[in-house]
Parts: sequence; structure tokens; C-alpha cells
Amino acid sequence: MNILCLEQGDWMKPESYPGMRMDWELSQLGDFALSPNARGRREDYPVNDSASPIQASMFNAVGGSTIMYAAHFPRFHPSDFQVKTLDGVADDWPVDYQRLAPFYDVNAHMMGVSGLAGDPMYPPKTVPLPPVALGKLGETLAKGFNRLGWHWWPSDSAITTQEHEGRAPCINAGTCLLGCAQGAKASTDITYWPAALRQGVRLKTRCRVREITVAANGMADGVIYYDADGVERRQQAHVVVVACNGIGTPRLLLNSRSTLFPDGLANRSGLVGRNLMFHPYAMVTGIFDEPLEGYKGPTGCCIMSQEFYETDVARGFVRGYSFEIVRSFGPVSTAMRGMQWGRIPWGADHHRAFAELFDRTAGMVVICEDLPEHSNRVTLDPDLKDSDGIPAPKVTYRLSENSSKMLEHCVARATEVLEAAGAKETVAEAPLPFAGWHLMGTARMGTDPTTSVVNEWGRCHDVRNLFIIDGSIFVTAAAVNPTNTIQALALYIADTMKKNLATLFD
Amino acid sequence: MDNESNKRDLSNEESRVLTSVLDEIIPPSTDRRLPGAGQLGLAGYVVEALQKAPELIVMVAQGLSDLDNQARSRNASGFAALAREDKLRLLNEWGFLLPLTLHTYTGYYQHARVIEALGLEARPPHPEGYHMEPNDLSLLDPVRRRAKLYREC
Repeated sequence: MNILCLEQGDWMKPESYPGMRMDWELSQLGDFALSPNARGRREDYPVNDSASPIQASMFNAVGGSTIMYAAHFPRFHPSDFQVKTLDGVADDWPVDYQRLAPFYDVNAHMMGVSGLAGDPMYPPKTVPLPPVALGKLGETLAKGFNRLGWHWWPSDSAITTQEHEGRAPCINAGTCLLGCAQGAKASTDITYWPAALRQGVRLKTRCRVREITVAANGMADGVIYYDADGVERRQQAHVVVVACNGIGTPRLLLNSRSTLFPDGLANRSGLVGRNLMFHPYAMVTGIFDEPLEGYKGPTGCCIMSQEFYETDVARGFVRGYSFEIVRSFGPVSTAMRGMQWGRIPWGADHHRAFAELFDRTAGMVVICEDLPEHSNRVTLDPDLKDSDGIPAPKVTYRLSENSSKMLEHCVARATEVLEAAGAKETVAEAPLPFAGWHLMGTARMGTDPTTSVVNEWGRCHDVRNLFIIDGSIFVTAAAVNPTNTIQALALYIADTMKKNLATLFD
Repeated sequence: MDNESNKRDLSNEESRVLTSVLDEIIPPSTDRRLPGAGQLGLAGYVVEALQKAPELIVMVAQGLSDLDNQARSRNASGFAALAREDKLRLLNEWGFLLPLTLHTYTGYYQHARVIEALGLEARPPHPEGYHMEPNDLSLLDPVRRRAKLYREC
């Protein structure tokens, strides 16, 4: 088997990640800004998200968005796969937790997941490494949860806390979102890719695929791409596997039009690009009287609470959310946040106001489950193009009433727990406009070709040698970070392909 | 676009006004532990940041000149020589404070002298990282006492 991967980004150099520099915090405004529109790197493509209250976030490189994610790594719950059966909304997945469990286990080892067994919110599961350091900030908030009698647990994190498979342990630098120079945060360039290359997989970087082509028999027969020099090339293939995630994948399929697929490849259902799900996020920050050393520790991984995870219709909405405690800010970020909040003025009161905030904030982000809505979608922008002339994606998204009610509820509960932990004041932001980093649903899975794009093992209904293995195949979003489930699904799909090689296109 | 031919430097007079403005944006702390932003020598940093938007530096430079000229109607020696309350009155009417404030804040809080005054080590987070105490997992005892919380399916 010859396997070639075309990646539009390039290898990252950990030794040049911003955390090695004094001006590291400013990288959040430049090369490591969340939005590709703000970064404007050669590897980025623009996204028209003007018709969305949530801005899309992704990163193109070997390792993709795992280069800049926080590595928060919870699994889906068993109930997350059966939302229709249990709560009468959305749809059920054609796979369940039991089917994916062995692949979550494999992924935990490959990525080096740290955490703690015994969480009553999950069936028993293995966690290879001990949890990340909670620190004074984490323990202060844990006590707040305990005072209210609410669930909390150390986060499952794709961050090594001990030496693991040749990777060094976390040093609590707090620069996770800007790449991990230590190599403790798991990104796929340092976990899966070395193993894949040893097995003979070939990787061509700086190669941007424009479209997938089809033969007269309706099977994919390769791709057209621009190489590192911008020259148009053609690569033939017997099987095509797509992993461009919830915005990049529908963009590629919609741009792969032909006489057989005038509405985009594998799109006879009309569902490619539809049912886009973000996770509407809230962020609630508490201001405390004492220093919390919040600049230490993995940025987004500390403790998680799922007290309000499952549906309780008495709340006025269905499904639920997760609290994820986040660390605090360095000096520059404190100053900028304080300026944004109107709390750190220039002039005579500056130093007092800064001292009130610096190292005295602790908070949480809240991940709300986003239900699929047909009108939330990715299309091709009629005007905006990337540097190779490929149409940019356009995101059209609105917050549902269910999401709005959920956000209101979660902000109130987050405020409650921060006050129970000792916060004298809180600041809430909801929805977070820059938090469109979970991209799901736009080539959904299902057994019915009229209501789904891929089958239960990721094969496109309309094109039997085309597979999708990223977040676009999600049926529902759960209320947890999707990366662990994306990877478990990819492993499951690959395993199924391998077991069915002789009948792969039947 | 940022290229050498478009870069606009400040005159000596404009730089003097800017330094004085920076000392009003972030003044010295009352206990003198923290310097003013102008005293810290941040004028060069701020100008370099503004030069990334060539139109903006031109506008700010003109704005600094206008500020100084307005000041000279009250004090022949210009803005830097004004009394504090007069400086603040002019700055509150001035239209360029926002970009200056942003760059002043970002330059100030990455300066080694300020970081040390805040009680931190003046070094990047990597490669040393930070020591953290071992977890007190006895805090989980109340949660462990709860029954299974996930839904069976």
C-alpha cells in the first residue's frame, strides 16, 4: 500500500515557538493569533465568517490545529451518541461509545493522556499518566465546587506529566496555545507522524489541494493540488481520505464539482457544508484578593466540571455543558484584557487597577453543546479567494434559542461557583466571539444516504472510495472538546478499512 | 505595507512629547517601585509598533506636533513642561490615545525591569518552566462519594 499525504502547511520548529522569547504573549496577536484572517500566513486561507457571531479558528501545519490547541482531551459520554433516543433532539450516531472505546484507549497511549481514573461522570477508562498540576488556582476552584456539592475532576489532557515514549514531561510554562517547545503537549507532528513516517507513509508539505477529481464511473481518481512552488499538479489515487475538518472539508468537496456532482463531490444529499456546529463558549473570570499563581500550569487544562452536562428540561433547554477551569494571564495579557474590560485605565489609577487583576484572576470557559441546524452552514464565498485562487469558505451561523438559554444558565452557574471559591467580583463574556475552534457536523455520519454524507465507517455514500475522518462527520457535538473523539473515529475508520480491504468499495 | 522606504521616524521634538505622553499613560508608581513608561524608554518600542501601519505613524506624529502646539499656548516650553492637570486635560481631548495606550501596555509589561518588579523572573517561560506543588487529591473525596453520574445507554 502506498500512502501519500498532502498537507498545505509545513513542519513547525519547536525551538522557535514564542514561549522561548520574552515577547511571547504578543504572538497571540500575530503568528499565533486564533483567526487565520488575523494571522495571514502563507499556509492560511481566509474565512468569511462575517455572518457568524463566532469566528472560525484553525491552523494549517503538520500537526494542524493540535499545534495551538489547549490539549483538553475528554471523551464523549455514552449518552452523547444517542441524543435523539434519550432527549428527542438532533440524531443518533450510527456508532456508539462501546465501539469507539478501544480506539480511545489506543489514542490515549499514542498521545500520552494524563488524568485520573475513577471519574463518576464516565464509564471506567484507562488514563496512562497522572493528572496535570492543579496548582493554587485549581485547588481554590475545586474547593468552590466542593462547597456547592458539584461534580469536578482533574482534566483528561493530552499533555505528558511524566516521560512518555521519549517525550519530556510538562514544565508548567503556560504557553500551550502558542506551541509547546517542551514537546509535552501532544500535537500529531510529534506523536502519530513519526510513527507513520517509519511505516513508509510519504508526506508532502506546502501542497494545497484544490479539488478531488472523479472518473466516469463516479469513483474518486485523485486530486489536483498546488505544490510548494505554486505549480498545479495532479496526484492519482485509488482511495482518497480527507481530513480538513469542519470548514476545510466541505470547502474542498464543494469546490470539487463535476458533471456527475454539480453541487459538489459526495453531495447528492445536499448536506455537505450543512449542520455546522461550533461549541458556543462562555468565559467567566473571577477576581480574587489573593495571588493564585495562575500563570503557571497548562493553559487550558486543570479541572473540569460536568454537573450540568445531561438534559434537565426544568432548566429551559436541552442537553448541557462542561465547565473547564483555565489558568490566568501573564502580565501583557492581563493589561490587554483589563484594557478591553475597561478596568485598567491609563493615568494615575493604572498601577492600582493592574495590581488588582494581575495574578488574582481565575476562571472557566464553558463549552455548550451545539445542536445541528440545517441553516448553519459552510459554502464557497463568491468573491474571497486564497493565495492560490481557491474560493474561501463562507460561514453562515446563528446561535439557537437553546444555545442562548444554555449560555445564560451557564454564566449564572459559573458565577455561583466562582463566588463559592472566594471571588469578590466576576466578569462574564458570552458567547466568546473568538472561540470557533471546534468545527463539526458538515459531512455528517449516518446510515441513510438522504440524511447523511458518510456511512458508519466514514465512507461517502456517493463515492465509495472517498473517506472523511475529521470533525465534519460528527452527528452531534457533545459538550466536550472534540479532538479525542476525532482521533478515535479516525483510528476506528482506518481499522475498519484495513479489515475490509478486499470489499472496500462494495 | 511595512517597508523601509515608508517608515516615518519622529523628530527629536516629537519624541520628547511622546516620552512625556507615555509617562502620563503609565506614570511612575507612587512607591517608585515601577517606573513610568516614558522613563523606561518605551518611546522607541511604541514608534516601531506604530510604523507597522505607515498611515498611523504619520497621523500620530502630526498629532504629537498638534499636542505640543496647543501646549505652547499655555507654556512656551511645550507639552513636557506643562503642569500635570494641564497635560491630562489636553490628553483627554486628544484623539490618538487608544493606539498609544495599547502599545504602551504591551511594551511595558514585557520589559524585564517591570516583570521583576511584579515579583516574577525576567525570563521566557521556556525552557525552565515553573515548579508547581503536588496535587492534593483528597479534595476529590466529596466527588468520589457520589454515585455514578453518567447516563447508561
